[in-house]
Amino acid sequence: MPYALTITHLYPDYLNLYGDTGNLIVLRRRCQWMGIDCTVKPLTMEEVAQSGQTDLYFMGGGQDMDQVAVVNDFHQLKHEAIRADTEAGVVFLGVCGGYQLMGNTFLMGNGEETQGLGIVNVNTRAPSTDVKQRCIGNLVVEINSAVYAEMQTMYATPRKIPRTLVGFENHSGQTYLGEGVEPLAKTIAGFGNNATAEYEGARYKNVFGSYMHGSLLPKNPHFADYLIGLALRRKYADVNLTLPTLTDTEEFAAHEFVVQRYR
Amino acid sequence: MNQLLLIPIVAFAKLLTLALRVSGRGSGTALPGYLVGRYFPFVLKALVSQIPVVVAITGTNGKTTSQTMLSAVLDQAPKAKVLRNKAGANLSQGILSELLKQSNAVGRLDFTHAVLEVEEATLPRIARLIKPNIIAVTNLYRDQLDAYGEIDRTEKLIRDGIAQCPTAAVVVNGDDPRTSRLTQGLENATYFMSLAPEYARFLPYEGKLNRRVPGSEGLEATNIHINEDLTTDFSVQGQINHETVHLPQAKTVSPGFFHVYNALTAIAIANLLGIDGATAIAGLKTFKPAFGRGEILTRRQGDKQVNYRLLLVKNPASFSLSLELLRNIPGLKLILAINDNTADGKDVSWLWDSELERLNQANIDWIFCTGVRAKDMAVRLKYALDVPPGPIPAEESIRQIIDLSFQKASSGDTVFVLPTYTAMLEFRKLMGKTLDVV
Repeated sequence: MPYALTITHLYPDYLNLYGDTGNLIVLRRRCQWMGIDCTVKPLTMEEVAQSGQTDLYFMGGGQDMDQVAVVNDFHQLKHEAIRADTEAGVVFLGVCGGYQLMGNTFLMGNGEETQGLGIVNVNTRAPSTDVKQRCIGNLVVEINSAVYAEMQTMYATPRKIPRTLVGFENHSGQTYLGEGVEPLAKTIAGFGNNATAEYEGARYKNVFGSYMHGSLLPKNPHFADYLIGLALRRKYADVNLTLPTLTDTEEFAAHEFVVQRYR
Repeated sequence: MNQLLLIPIVAFAKLLTLALRVSGRGSGTALPGYLVGRYFPFVLKALVSQIPVVVAITGTNGKTTSQTMLSAVLDQAPKAKVLRNKAGANLSQGILSELLKQSNAVGRLDFTHAVLEVEEATLPRIARLIKPNIIAVTNLYRDQLDAYGEIDRTEKLIRDGIAQCPTAAVVVNGDDPRTSRLTQGLENATYFMSLAPEYARFLPYEGKLNRRVPGSEGLEATNIHINEDLTTDFSVQGQINHETVHLPQAKTVSPGFFHVYNALTAIAIANLLGIDGATAIAGLKTFKPAFGRGEILTRRQGDKQVNYRLLLVKNPASFSLSLELLRNIPGLKLILAINDNTADGKDVSWLWDSELERLNQANIDWIFCTGVRAKDMAVRLKYALDVPPGPIPAEESIRQIIDLSFQKASSGDTVFVLPTYTAMLEFRKLMGKTLDVV
């Protein structure tokens, strides 16, 4: 049966730094190649969110002024509906600034901490003087075992997928996970959540946060498929739903190159 | 300030430059300027103030080209003697080094004009010292590795620089929403350079394209025609200081829309300096593109000859615009050379902000990806192309790709090469070495 997937891109005109749009290009194309009917809808300032309308939220990072405006707008017009969705298992991916913004508090460029969107229990703080001022560079991480196990169930035909994720981080905020939130991965090379944690990203229900640019999904097609699979399984209430295997020669070649070069 | 004080400092700088060159530690570009600037900060002002006309050119893309174009135009004027800093040596130490190098033994500078390329964040630091008569801002795009708030900050820095020079005339890109508002609330006479709307809409500006306020002065390019050899013909019309400017037949050898802005900037500045339009157009014709910016390198082997045309890509805007330019090339042969060294941007995310999708309208013969991040580039292409042309060769070694492309091309073909900065340097070096191989 043909599946359909609705993706909501949050504040695309405000939060669009660092090639994060690459993640949407990848989700859209992979759905197309798999025969999934994919619709991407922007949801931006002054628009009211309604729950139950989307299968996957994506949020990137933006400039400071924009991020503050986003937080205010989100709390007025979107918080209740989106929070209801994420609590019900709708997939949400936030990258870098988007990841920080999803938490309870986040850091602005002037070092000031401010209220976040509050959809996942993480906090981002200004770096203390004893840690590096900015975490910057290539990042290679090992996916946490629960996520990796679930990732492997996504395909109709079992396939070999990397245990790693690769990307590029560039942040000064130090993110700490609160209760009920699991790290997405363990850091092999680079920093991840903060200069000392040795973990990268966050998972709470189907809410994912990551510091990885690169963009994140192009070189990690297994993670892209995982998000698509999770979204479809929830939407169609079918935990056994699987995806076809795409030829990911170029993607995994680029992935492996980063693992070899920067590990 | 006492002119005598300059003598020992200038002598020291000249000796240091010589010593650096003799010892083989680089061409000695920045170090003398760095040391002198650090310990004798008054020297910059003392040197620049000897030159009657100072033009500062800043902005994300097109600084070097605008500077080169303007110099070519000024060279047409009788008795003009133009000083310019070297391409890319656009921080205060690079500018100071050039001034020290060009001055005579007692620190005198015998020039009529200084045309300085100034890095964006450097402008507010040196504006008060160099007191430019004219400030030009080409455009303001996000560079790839910009941190949060970086482009807002850059805009503010340039504005601060302009605010320090209330009598300077300001020439801005009038379509770019960020540059066109730079002098709002300031006293500076401002001139807006724009393309007719039917062309400006191709350009990847952030936010709404600015439309010029009626009554404001500036130049507009119309009838823009990009020829098959990528030279660009256009007409110029507008008004500067209440005088009508109409130049029906302007031409730039640099390829593409963005160079039309650079040419307009050069024409407008020339006009402000009292050089007439015909002279400016003649000057533009003598202009040679800065290296890597539209430059053609030829490789010959026996009777076979293949041209490689280099179009440097620095950020999403310049990448997207170069691709726009290639849409009309029949049987496009393309090499995308992406490195991830510091000068290229270590984070290749910007490839995803670049509109590779524009290639869907191109007539493509073949594409090769090369450079350290060849594989990232191949993935980007795979997702951009509606009909992928089969597997896209991705080979890190630029040397091998030059050989491969030479074999694949027919004699007389032009291969377009879009390299990042260090890939461009590497490509040129390799071409130099393999030129005229028998």
